[in-house]
Amino acid sequence: MSIHVANGRLVVWFTIFVGLLFQIMPLPELVEHARPDWLLLVMIYWAMALPHRYNILTAWLLGVMLDVLLGATLGIRALAMSLVIYVVVLHFQRLRNFPMWQQSLLVACLVGMYHLVVFWVEFVAIEAEFSLSIILPSLSSLIIWPWAFWFLRRIRRHYKVR
Amino acid sequence: MKPIFVRGISNQFRLTLAIMMSVVLLVANERLEPYRQSLASFLSPIQYLANVPGAVLDWSAESLATRNMLAKQNKDLLRQQLLMSERLQRFEHLRQENDRLRALLGSPLHMDSRKVVAEVMEVASDPFHHYVVVNHGAGSGVFVGQPVVDAQGIVGQVVQVNELTARVLLISDESHGIPVRITRNDVRLVAKGIGRIDEIELQYVAKSTDIEAGDLIVSSGLGKRFPEGYPVARITDVTREDGQSYAKVRAKPLAALDRVRYLLLIWPDIDATKNREDDAANAASINGHEGSQTSSDSNEAPKSTSEASNEVTPTKPEQESQS
Repeated sequence: MSIHVANGRLVVWFTIFVGLLFQIMPLPELVEHARPDWLLLVMIYWAMALPHRYNILTAWLLGVMLDVLLGATLGIRALAMSLVIYVVVLHFQRLRNFPMWQQSLLVACLVGMYHLVVFWVEFVAIEAEFSLSIILPSLSSLIIWPWAFWFLRRIRRHYKVR
Repeated sequence: MKPIFVRGISNQFRLTLAIMMSVVLLVANERLEPYRQSLASFLSPIQYLANVPGAVLDWSAESLATRNMLAKQNKDLLRQQLLMSERLQRFEHLRQENDRLRALLGSPLHMDSRKVVAEVMEVASDPFHHYVVVNHGAGSGVFVGQPVVDAQGIVGQVVQVNELTARVLLISDESHGIPVRITRNDVRLVAKGIGRIDEIELQYVAKSTDIEAGDLIVSSGLGKRFPEGYPVARITDVTREDGQSYAKVRAKPLAALDRVRYLLLIWPDIDATKNREDDAANAASINGHEGSQTSSDSNEAPKSTSEASNEVTPTKPEQESQS
Protein backbone atom coordinates (compact mmCIF):
# COMPACT_ATOMS: atom_id res chain seq x y z
CA MET A 1 0.00 0.00 0.00
CA SER A 2 2.70 2.41 1.00
CA ILE A 3 4.60 1.64 -2.20
CA HIS A 4 1.44 2.34 -4.17
CA VAL A 5 0.96 5.68 -2.51
CA ALA A 6 4.56 6.65 -3.10
CA ASN A 7 4.31 5.51 -6.70
CA GLY A 8 1.13 7.44 -7.20
CA ARG A 9 2.67 10.56 -5.79
CA LEU A 10 5.55 10.28 -8.20
CA VAL A 11 3.17 9.93 -11.15
CA VAL A 12 1.10 12.93 -10.12
CA TRP A 13 4.13 15.13 -9.63
CA PHE A 14 5.53 13.99 -12.94
CA THR A 15 2.37 15.08 -14.78
CA ILE A 16 2.50 18.39 -12.90
CA PHE A 17 6.13 18.80 -13.92
CA VAL A 18 5.21 18.18 -17.57
CA GLY A 19 2.39 20.70 -17.24
CA LEU A 20 4.85 23.26 -15.90
CA LEU A 21 7.19 22.51 -18.79
CA PHE A 22 4.44 22.98 -21.38
CA GLN A 23 3.39 26.17 -19.64
CA ILE A 24 6.73 27.88 -20.26
CA MET A 25 7.64 26.18 -23.52
CA PRO A 26 8.22 28.58 -26.43
CA LEU A 27 5.32 28.94 -28.86
CA PRO A 28 5.14 30.76 -32.19
CA GLU A 29 4.23 34.42 -31.79
CA LEU A 30 0.89 33.78 -33.51
CA VAL A 31 -0.49 31.38 -30.90
CA GLU A 32 1.47 32.72 -27.94
CA HIS A 33 -1.54 34.60 -26.58
CA ALA A 34 -3.76 31.55 -26.86
CA ARG A 35 -1.48 29.26 -24.89
CA PRO A 36 -3.66 26.78 -22.97
CA ASP A 37 -2.97 26.82 -19.24
CA TRP A 38 -1.47 23.37 -19.04
CA LEU A 39 -0.45 23.58 -15.43
CA LEU A 40 -3.90 24.76 -14.35
CA LEU A 41 -5.60 22.02 -16.38
CA VAL A 42 -3.41 19.33 -14.79
CA MET A 43 -4.06 20.78 -11.38
CA ILE A 44 -7.82 20.95 -11.98
CA TYR A 45 -7.79 17.31 -12.99
CA TRP A 46 -5.99 16.14 -9.88
CA ALA A 47 -8.08 18.34 -7.62
CA MET A 48 -11.16 16.81 -9.19
CA ALA A 49 -9.93 13.23 -9.01
CA LEU A 50 -8.20 13.32 -5.62
CA PRO A 51 -9.48 16.40 -3.79
CA HIS A 52 -8.34 15.07 -0.43
CA ARG A 53 -4.72 14.88 -1.55
CA TYR A 54 -4.18 17.64 -4.10
CA ASN A 55 -6.02 20.77 -3.29
CA ILE A 56 -5.73 24.44 -2.55
CA LEU A 57 -2.32 24.48 -0.92
CA THR A 58 -0.79 22.36 -3.70
CA ALA A 59 -2.21 24.85 -6.18
CA TRP A 60 -0.74 27.71 -4.19
CA LEU A 61 2.70 26.13 -4.28
CA LEU A 62 2.47 25.58 -8.03
CA GLY A 63 1.33 29.16 -8.50
CA VAL A 64 4.40 30.43 -6.67
CA MET A 65 6.61 28.24 -8.83
CA LEU A 66 4.96 29.57 -11.97
CA ASP A 67 5.38 33.15 -10.79
CA VAL A 68 9.08 32.56 -10.25
CA LEU A 69 9.49 30.93 -13.65
CA LEU A 70 7.63 33.72 -15.44
CA GLY A 71 9.39 36.47 -13.52
CA ALA A 72 6.07 37.96 -12.43
CA THR A 73 5.30 39.60 -9.10
CA LEU A 74 5.30 36.77 -6.56
CA GLY A 75 1.92 35.62 -5.39
CA ILE A 76 -0.23 36.62 -8.37
CA ARG A 77 -0.69 33.21 -9.90
CA ALA A 78 -0.57 31.59 -6.47
CA LEU A 79 -3.65 33.60 -5.52
CA ALA A 80 -5.46 32.96 -8.80
CA MET A 81 -4.73 29.24 -8.76
CA SER A 82 -5.82 28.66 -5.19
CA LEU A 83 -9.08 30.50 -5.87
CA VAL A 84 -9.83 28.38 -8.93
CA ILE A 85 -8.91 25.14 -7.21
CA TYR A 86 -11.10 26.11 -4.25
CA VAL A 87 -14.08 26.19 -6.60
CA VAL A 88 -13.06 22.84 -8.07
CA VAL A 89 -12.62 21.19 -4.68
CA LEU A 90 -15.94 22.57 -3.49
CA HIS A 91 -17.82 21.01 -6.41
CA PHE A 92 -15.63 18.07 -7.31
CA GLN A 93 -18.43 15.50 -7.22
CA ARG A 94 -20.70 17.56 -9.43
CA LEU A 95 -17.84 18.25 -11.82
CA ARG A 96 -16.99 14.55 -12.07
CA ASN A 97 -20.51 13.62 -13.04
CA PHE A 98 -21.06 16.29 -15.64
CA PRO A 99 -21.08 15.21 -19.28
CA MET A 100 -17.86 16.08 -21.06
CA TRP A 101 -19.12 19.14 -22.96
CA GLN A 102 -20.51 20.66 -19.80
CA GLN A 103 -17.32 19.92 -17.90
CA SER A 104 -15.23 21.52 -20.65
CA LEU A 105 -17.36 24.65 -20.60
CA LEU A 106 -16.96 24.92 -16.84
CA VAL A 107 -13.22 24.42 -17.07
CA ALA A 108 -13.09 27.17 -19.68
CA CYS A 109 -14.96 29.43 -17.27
CA LEU A 110 -12.50 28.54 -14.51
CA VAL A 111 -9.55 29.34 -16.78
CA GLY A 112 -11.23 32.63 -17.63
CA MET A 113 -11.62 33.36 -13.93
CA TYR A 114 -7.95 32.56 -13.37
CA HIS A 115 -6.92 35.04 -16.04
CA LEU A 116 -9.27 37.68 -14.71
CA VAL A 117 -7.75 37.39 -11.24
CA VAL A 118 -4.23 37.56 -12.70
CA PHE A 119 -5.16 40.60 -14.75
CA TRP A 120 -6.84 42.27 -11.81
CA VAL A 121 -3.79 41.92 -9.54
CA GLU A 122 -1.45 43.01 -12.34
CA PHE A 123 -3.68 46.00 -12.90
CA VAL A 124 -3.42 46.98 -9.26
CA ALA A 125 0.35 46.36 -9.25
CA ILE A 126 1.51 47.87 -12.56
CA GLU A 127 -1.63 49.28 -14.24
CA ALA A 128 -1.62 46.70 -16.98
CA GLU A 129 -3.79 47.46 -19.98
CA PHE A 130 -6.87 45.32 -20.48
CA SER A 131 -7.13 43.52 -23.77
CA LEU A 132 -9.74 41.02 -24.83
CA SER A 133 -7.02 38.54 -25.70
CA ILE A 134 -7.17 37.18 -22.14
CA ILE A 135 -10.23 35.24 -23.35
CA LEU A 136 -8.14 33.26 -25.82
CA PRO A 137 -6.51 30.92 -23.25
CA SER A 138 -9.90 29.80 -21.99
CA LEU A 139 -11.00 29.02 -25.55
CA SER A 140 -7.88 26.95 -26.22
CA SER A 141 -8.25 25.27 -22.83
CA LEU A 142 -11.83 24.42 -23.81
CA ILE A 143 -10.47 22.51 -26.79
CA ILE A 144 -7.59 20.91 -24.90
CA TRP A 145 -9.52 19.85 -21.78
CA PRO A 146 -11.26 16.68 -23.11
CA TRP A 147 -7.94 15.37 -24.38
CA ALA A 148 -6.07 16.29 -21.23
CA PHE A 149 -8.83 14.71 -19.14
CA TRP A 150 -8.78 11.51 -21.16
CA PHE A 151 -5.00 11.30 -21.05
CA LEU A 152 -4.70 12.01 -17.35
CA ARG A 153 -7.47 9.53 -16.51
CA ARG A 154 -5.62 6.87 -18.47
CA ILE A 155 -2.48 7.63 -16.52
CA ARG A 156 -4.37 7.57 -13.25
CA ARG A 157 -6.02 4.22 -14.01
CA HIS A 158 -2.88 2.68 -15.38
CA TYR A 159 -0.83 3.52 -12.33
CA LYS A 160 -3.79 3.01 -10.00
CA VAL A 161 -3.33 6.37 -8.36
CA ARG A 162 -5.96 6.74 -5.65
CA MET B 1 -10.04 4.89 0.17
CA LYS B 2 -12.41 7.50 -1.18
CA PRO B 3 -13.77 9.67 1.56
CA ILE B 4 -17.01 11.40 0.68
CA PHE B 5 -16.44 14.04 3.31
CA VAL B 6 -13.07 15.67 3.22
CA ARG B 7 -11.44 15.23 6.58
CA GLY B 8 -8.72 17.26 8.22
CA ILE B 9 -8.63 21.02 7.92
CA SER B 10 -11.53 22.50 6.00
CA ASN B 11 -11.29 23.94 2.52
CA GLN B 12 -12.32 27.36 3.73
CA PHE B 13 -9.39 27.37 6.11
CA ARG B 14 -7.02 26.25 3.37
CA LEU B 15 -8.30 28.96 1.06
CA THR B 16 -7.94 31.63 3.72
CA LEU B 17 -4.42 30.45 4.39
CA ALA B 18 -3.55 30.48 0.68
CA ILE B 19 -4.99 33.96 0.17
CA MET B 20 -3.19 35.30 3.20
CA MET B 21 0.12 33.83 2.08
CA SER B 22 -0.40 35.24 -1.44
CA VAL B 23 -1.09 38.70 -0.07
CA VAL B 24 2.01 38.49 2.11
CA LEU B 25 4.04 37.55 -0.97
CA LEU B 26 2.53 40.37 -3.01
CA VAL B 27 3.18 42.97 -0.34
CA ALA B 28 6.67 41.80 0.67
CA ASN B 29 7.72 41.23 -2.93
CA GLU B 30 10.77 43.47 -2.84
CA ARG B 31 12.18 41.96 0.33
CA LEU B 32 11.78 38.42 -0.92
CA GLU B 33 14.19 38.96 -3.80
CA PRO B 34 16.97 36.73 -2.33
CA TYR B 35 14.50 33.89 -1.76
CA ARG B 36 13.14 34.31 -5.24
CA GLN B 37 16.67 34.14 -6.56
CA SER B 38 17.43 30.86 -4.86
CA LEU B 39 14.05 29.43 -5.86
CA ALA B 40 14.67 30.52 -9.44
CA SER B 41 18.10 28.88 -9.36
CA PHE B 42 16.41 25.72 -8.17
CA LEU B 43 13.82 25.90 -10.97
CA SER B 44 16.10 27.02 -13.80
CA PRO B 45 16.69 23.45 -15.04
CA ILE B 46 13.02 23.53 -16.08
CA GLN B 47 13.78 26.57 -18.19
CA TYR B 48 16.70 24.82 -19.79
CA LEU B 49 14.48 21.81 -20.48
CA ALA B 50 11.72 23.98 -21.95
CA ASN B 51 14.29 25.61 -24.19
CA VAL B 52 15.25 22.26 -25.73
CA PRO B 53 12.61 22.09 -28.52
CA GLY B 54 13.54 25.53 -29.79
CA ALA B 55 17.22 24.68 -29.63
CA VAL B 56 16.61 21.43 -31.52
CA LEU B 57 14.70 23.34 -34.21
CA ASP B 58 17.57 25.79 -34.51
CA TRP B 59 20.09 23.02 -34.68
CA SER B 60 18.15 21.14 -37.35
CA ALA B 61 17.72 24.32 -39.39
CA GLU B 62 21.48 24.78 -39.22
CA SER B 63 22.38 21.22 -40.07
CA LEU B 64 19.82 21.00 -42.88
CA ALA B 65 21.09 24.14 -44.59
CA THR B 66 22.14 23.42 -48.15
CA ARG B 67 25.63 23.92 -49.44
CA ASN B 68 24.52 26.79 -51.65
CA MET B 69 22.93 28.60 -48.77
CA LEU B 70 26.06 28.25 -46.70
CA ALA B 71 28.26 29.40 -49.55
CA LYS B 72 26.06 32.44 -50.10
CA GLN B 73 26.02 33.25 -46.41
CA ASN B 74 29.76 32.82 -46.25
CA LYS B 75 30.23 35.23 -49.15
CA ASP B 76 27.97 37.80 -47.54
CA LEU B 77 29.78 37.53 -44.24
CA LEU B 78 33.18 37.88 -45.88
CA ARG B 79 32.05 41.01 -47.68
CA GLN B 80 30.60 42.38 -44.49
CA GLN B 81 33.77 41.60 -42.62
CA LEU B 82 35.84 43.42 -45.22
CA LEU B 83 33.66 46.50 -44.89
CA MET B 84 33.77 46.29 -41.12
CA SER B 85 37.52 45.91 -40.92
CA GLU B 86 37.95 48.92 -43.19
CA ARG B 87 35.79 50.93 -40.82
CA LEU B 88 37.70 49.50 -37.90
CA GLN B 89 40.98 50.76 -39.32
CA ARG B 90 39.64 54.29 -39.45
CA PHE B 91 38.07 53.80 -36.03
CA GLU B 92 41.38 52.76 -34.54
CA HIS B 93 42.98 55.91 -35.87
CA LEU B 94 40.15 58.04 -34.50
CA ARG B 95 40.34 56.32 -31.14
CA GLN B 96 44.01 57.09 -30.78
CA GLU B 97 43.39 60.67 -31.78
CA ASN B 98 40.52 60.89 -29.29
CA ASP B 99 42.68 59.44 -26.52
CA ARG B 100 45.40 61.98 -27.24
CA LEU B 101 42.92 64.85 -27.21
CA ARG B 102 41.37 63.59 -23.99
CA ALA B 103 44.83 63.32 -22.45
CA LEU B 104 45.42 66.93 -23.45
CA LEU B 105 42.14 67.95 -21.84
CA GLY B 106 42.97 65.99 -18.73
CA SER B 107 39.80 63.92 -19.11
CA PRO B 108 39.77 60.23 -18.22
CA LEU B 109 40.17 57.87 -21.15
CA HIS B 110 37.32 55.69 -22.32
CA MET B 111 38.05 52.20 -21.08
CA ASP B 112 37.20 49.04 -22.90
CA SER B 113 34.65 47.15 -20.89
CA ARG B 114 34.25 43.42 -20.49
CA LYS B 115 31.57 41.90 -22.71
CA VAL B 116 30.00 38.46 -22.90
CA VAL B 117 27.75 37.14 -25.65
CA ALA B 118 24.58 35.64 -24.21
CA GLU B 119 21.88 33.68 -25.95
CA VAL B 120 18.19 34.36 -25.44
CA MET B 121 16.40 31.31 -24.11
CA GLU B 122 13.04 30.68 -25.65
CA VAL B 123 10.86 30.44 -22.61
CA ALA B 124 7.58 32.16 -21.89
CA SER B 125 7.52 35.14 -19.56
CA ASP B 126 4.94 37.19 -17.76
CA PRO B 127 2.68 38.47 -20.58
CA PHE B 128 2.27 41.84 -18.85
CA HIS B 129 5.99 42.61 -19.08
CA HIS B 130 8.59 42.65 -21.81
CA TYR B 131 11.19 40.20 -20.59
CA VAL B 132 13.70 37.87 -22.17
CA VAL B 133 15.66 35.19 -20.34
CA VAL B 134 19.35 34.77 -21.18
CA ASN B 135 21.55 31.77 -20.57
CA HIS B 136 24.05 33.48 -18.26
CA GLY B 137 23.51 34.05 -14.58
CA ALA B 138 25.25 34.95 -11.37
CA GLY B 139 27.68 32.12 -12.13
CA SER B 140 29.10 34.22 -14.99
CA GLY B 141 29.10 37.39 -12.92
CA VAL B 142 25.86 38.86 -14.23
CA PHE B 143 24.39 41.44 -11.84
CA VAL B 144 21.10 43.26 -11.45
CA GLY B 145 21.09 46.54 -13.37
CA GLN B 146 23.60 45.35 -15.93
CA PRO B 147 23.21 46.99 -19.35
CA VAL B 148 22.41 44.71 -22.29
CA VAL B 149 22.92 45.62 -25.95
CA ASP B 150 22.70 43.87 -29.30
CA ALA B 151 24.36 44.59 -32.64
CA GLN B 152 22.11 47.59 -33.32
CA GLY B 153 21.64 49.26 -29.97
CA ILE B 154 20.54 49.05 -26.37
CA VAL B 155 18.17 46.23 -25.56
CA GLY B 156 17.53 46.69 -21.86
CA GLN B 157 18.88 45.84 -18.45
CA VAL B 158 19.11 42.81 -16.20
CA VAL B 159 16.42 42.81 -13.49
CA GLN B 160 16.61 39.33 -11.98
CA VAL B 161 19.58 37.05 -11.66
CA ASN B 162 19.86 33.47 -10.57
CA GLU B 163 22.69 30.99 -10.73
CA LEU B 164 22.22 29.87 -14.36
CA THR B 165 19.96 32.39 -16.04
CA ALA B 166 19.08 36.05 -15.88
CA ARG B 167 16.01 38.04 -16.87
CA VAL B 168 16.38 41.14 -19.01
CA LEU B 169 13.82 43.93 -18.98
CA LEU B 170 13.49 45.40 -22.47
CA ILE B 171 13.48 49.16 -23.04
CA SER B 172 9.97 48.84 -24.49
CA ASP B 173 8.50 47.72 -21.16
CA GLU B 174 6.13 50.13 -19.50
CA SER B 175 8.26 50.29 -16.37
CA HIS B 176 11.51 51.04 -18.20
CA GLY B 177 13.00 54.45 -18.73
CA ILE B 178 16.40 55.39 -20.10
CA PRO B 179 18.18 58.76 -20.16
CA VAL B 180 19.11 59.67 -23.72
CA ARG B 181 20.35 62.53 -25.82
CA ILE B 182 19.89 63.50 -29.43
CA THR B 183 23.13 63.12 -31.35
CA ARG B 184 22.39 66.09 -33.61
CA ASN B 185 22.21 68.72 -30.88
CA ASP B 186 22.87 67.01 -27.52
CA VAL B 187 19.39 67.74 -26.13
CA ARG B 188 18.85 65.49 -23.11
CA LEU B 189 15.61 63.52 -22.73
CA VAL B 190 14.14 60.45 -21.09
CA ALA B 191 12.88 57.62 -23.27
CA LYS B 192 10.20 55.44 -21.72
CA GLY B 193 8.65 52.19 -22.87
CA ILE B 194 4.91 52.14 -23.51
CA GLY B 195 4.37 48.39 -23.58
CA ARG B 196 4.62 48.13 -27.35
CA ILE B 197 7.57 46.15 -28.65
CA ASP B 198 8.39 48.46 -31.59
CA GLU B 199 7.80 51.85 -30.05
CA ILE B 200 9.06 53.97 -27.18
CA GLU B 201 8.06 57.44 -26.08
CA LEU B 202 10.12 60.50 -25.20
CA GLN B 203 8.69 62.21 -22.17
CA TYR B 204 8.41 65.85 -21.20
CA VAL B 205 9.65 67.28 -24.46
CA ALA B 206 8.99 71.01 -24.55
CA LYS B 207 7.24 72.07 -27.73
CA SER B 208 10.07 74.42 -28.59
CA THR B 209 12.66 71.62 -28.45
CA ASP B 210 14.62 71.17 -31.64
CA ILE B 211 13.64 67.61 -32.43
CA GLU B 212 12.42 66.06 -35.64
CA ALA B 213 11.65 62.71 -37.17
CA GLY B 214 14.79 60.84 -38.17
CA ASP B 215 16.93 62.07 -35.27
CA LEU B 216 19.11 59.42 -33.67
CA ILE B 217 19.00 59.18 -29.88
CA VAL B 218 21.82 57.57 -27.90
CA SER B 219 22.21 56.78 -24.22
CA SER B 220 23.47 59.80 -22.30
CA GLY B 221 24.97 57.87 -19.40
CA LEU B 222 23.32 60.21 -16.91
CA GLY B 223 21.42 57.49 -15.11
CA LYS B 224 24.74 55.85 -14.17
CA ARG B 225 23.35 52.58 -15.41
CA PHE B 226 23.83 52.54 -19.16
CA PRO B 227 27.23 53.50 -20.55
CA GLU B 228 27.24 56.62 -22.66
CA GLY B 229 26.92 56.69 -26.41
CA TYR B 230 25.08 53.49 -27.33
CA PRO B 231 22.33 54.03 -29.92
CA VAL B 232 18.82 53.60 -28.52
CA ALA B 233 16.22 54.59 -31.08
CA ARG B 234 15.33 56.77 -34.03
CA ILE B 235 12.59 59.38 -33.78
CA THR B 236 9.65 58.43 -35.96
CA ASP B 237 7.01 60.99 -35.18
CA VAL B 238 6.76 64.38 -33.47
CA THR B 239 3.34 65.96 -32.87
CA ARG B 240 2.95 69.36 -31.29
CA GLU B 241 -0.69 69.89 -30.37
CA ASP B 242 -1.85 73.26 -29.12
CA GLY B 243 -3.85 71.84 -26.23
CA GLN B 244 -1.01 69.78 -24.83
CA SER B 245 1.78 71.15 -22.68
CA TYR B 246 4.40 68.82 -24.12
CA ALA B 247 5.14 67.57 -27.59
CA LYS B 248 4.30 63.94 -28.22
CA VAL B 249 7.39 62.18 -29.52
CA ARG B 250 7.53 58.55 -30.58
CA ALA B 251 10.65 56.62 -31.51
CA LYS B 252 11.48 53.20 -32.85
CA PRO B 253 14.11 51.21 -30.94
CA LEU B 254 17.09 50.32 -33.11
CA ALA B 255 17.58 46.92 -31.50
CA ALA B 256 15.23 44.32 -32.96
CA LEU B 257 13.49 43.72 -29.64
CA ASP B 258 10.93 41.28 -30.98
CA ARG B 259 13.46 38.88 -32.44
CA VAL B 260 16.58 39.23 -30.34
CA ARG B 261 18.65 36.07 -30.43
CA TYR B 262 22.14 36.98 -29.26
CA LEU B 263 22.85 39.73 -26.78
CA LEU B 264 25.92 41.39 -25.33
CA LEU B 265 26.15 41.71 -21.59
CA ILE B 266 28.38 44.65 -20.67
CA TRP B 267 30.43 45.11 -17.52
CA PRO B 268 31.16 48.81 -17.52
CA ASP B 269 34.46 49.35 -15.69
CA ILE B 270 33.30 50.85 -12.42
CA ASP B 271 35.91 53.61 -12.12
CA ALA B 272 35.94 54.45 -15.76
CA THR B 273 32.19 54.76 -15.95
CA LYS B 274 32.01 56.83 -12.83
CA ASN B 275 34.50 59.34 -14.16
CA ARG B 276 32.94 59.27 -17.55
CA GLU B 277 29.49 59.91 -16.22
CA ASP B 278 30.69 62.72 -13.98
CA ASP B 279 32.31 64.08 -17.07
CA ALA B 280 29.06 63.74 -18.98
CA ALA B 281 27.16 65.35 -16.14
CA ASN B 282 29.60 68.27 -16.15
CA ALA B 283 29.32 68.61 -19.87
CA ALA B 284 25.55 68.49 -19.56
CA SER B 285 25.46 71.15 -16.87
CA ILE B 286 27.72 73.34 -18.97
CA ASN B 287 25.36 72.85 -21.87
CA GLY B 288 22.44 73.69 -19.64
CA HIS B 289 24.00 76.95 -18.47
CA GLU B 290 25.39 78.13 -21.72
CA GLY B 291 22.38 77.13 -23.76
CA SER B 292 24.18 75.63 -26.70
CA GLN B 293 26.99 73.28 -27.48
CA THR B 294 29.06 75.73 -29.46
CA SER B 295 29.38 78.24 -26.66
CA SER B 296 30.50 75.58 -24.20
CA ASP B 297 33.02 74.42 -26.76
CA SER B 298 34.39 77.91 -27.08
CA ASN B 299 34.53 78.09 -23.30
CA GLU B 300 36.47 74.92 -23.03
CA ALA B 301 38.83 75.66 -25.84
CA PRO B 302 40.98 78.27 -24.06
CA LYS B 303 41.09 76.12 -20.94
CA SER B 304 42.52 73.22 -22.87
CA THR B 305 45.17 75.34 -24.54
CA SER B 306 46.20 76.77 -21.19
CA GLU B 307 46.48 73.27 -19.75
CA ALA B 308 48.43 72.16 -22.75
CA SER B 309 50.77 75.10 -22.39
CA ASN B 310 51.17 74.24 -18.71
CA GLU B 311 52.49 70.90 -19.72
CA VAL B 312 55.02 72.32 -22.09
CA THR B 313 56.35 74.90 -19.63
CA PRO B 314 59.95 74.94 -20.87
CA THR B 315 58.98 76.41 -24.21
CA LYS B 316 56.52 78.86 -22.76
CA PRO B 317 58.93 81.51 -21.43
CA GLU B 318 60.81 81.45 -24.66
CA GLN B 319 57.62 82.07 -26.60
CA GLU B 320 56.73 84.88 -24.25
CA SER B 321 60.13 86.40 -24.48
CA GLN B 322 59.97 86.14 -28.20
CA SER B 323 56.67 87.92 -28.30
